[in-house]
Amino acid sequence: MKSLLGALRQAMILAASAFIVGLIYNSFNENGIHPIRKPLRVPVIASNEGGAQAGEGIRIIDIEEAKNFVASGGRVLDARTKESYDEGHIPGAILFDYYSFGTYRARVLPMLSRQETIMVYCSEPSCDDSELLAKELYALGFRNLLLFKGGFAGWVAAGLEVEMTKEQE
Amino acid sequence: MNSMDRSDIREKRRIDNRFLSVVFHPAVLLAFRLVVGAIFIYAALQKIGKPLLFADSIHAYGILDYGILLYLAAIVLPWFELFCGLALVCGILLRGSALLLFILNAVFIIAIAIRTGSIVQGGTPFLEVFFDCGCGFGETYAWKKLLEDIIYLLITGAVLAAPVHKYRLSFGRRSS
Repeated sequence: MKSLLGALRQAMILAASAFIVGLIYNSFNENGIHPIRKPLRVPVIASNEGGAQAGEGIRIIDIEEAKNFVASGGRVLDARTKESYDEGHIPGAILFDYYSFGTYRARVLPMLSRQETIMVYCSEPSCDDSELLAKELYALGFRNLLLFKGGFAGWVAAGLEVEMTKEQE
Repeated sequence: MNSMDRSDIREKRRIDNRFLSVVFHPAVLLAFRLVVGAIFIYAALQKIGKPLLFADSIHAYGILDYGILLYLAAIVLPWFELFCGLALVCGILLRGSALLLFILNAVFIIAIAIRTGSIVQGGTPFLEVFFDCGCGFGETYAWKKLLEDIIYLLITGAVLAAPVHKYRLSFGRRSS
């Protein structure tokens, strides 16, 4: 019993320390979240759900639509890490690492217009980074967002052109 | 009670004692602590700094809706894991960290079981249920994750219940 009480006391010390350090770290983390922020309830519309209009949410597109969008010179954001981006990315894509949102927000947002259509992608269909980035952009007022769920893996698998980073930032 | 019964009971006790003496052997306990501690430190580092992603992972369990509780869990849970993992590896606040991880693992097992159950009800065979549990190790089979968490639960239970911990840092008096 005494031993269990001692364990409980230690557990409370650990939990309280972790709680405080976690909140402090979060407040300094440029990608931290406000615990009482409003949830990003952004509709993500599947490509097979017809009739979706621009501005209704984030629209998922397939490889064909992604290919045509890139060919037409549309704005593309790469939500992966800089290492992955440097190894190869969709031609013309701008790096916007979701996990360094604060950094890239300052760097990339001035280059974008809220009126233009923006395609976002990450590594592969199972990665969430592109969707999370698109949701954050939606919250910032961007309404014409396309989500290429196939990601870079889908792009490569389709045998499409890949661009490498020529010079380091 | 005849002599056969008594000898059976004595033999069972002897086996139990042998089993416990192995589980509670200082070197075995140290190995348990280092392995589980390292796993939880790694898992925590995958999630710290990515609270939005982790919040989405927690939300996928359908237990918490987006709001203050979910966001607090996303911010703080990885730090619980990190602190407990470090405590286990370094040998400080051992019983407290084992107790916290024991509780966390029990919660994880229940949450994964509930999510798996709902997927199985949808028609997917149990052994084929495959998802990202948000644990920091990517997508995996649910049965594998359940098995892993049960092992962690048993190990943290052993660390918690061990009468003595030999390899540990001690500040002042030894209380455990």
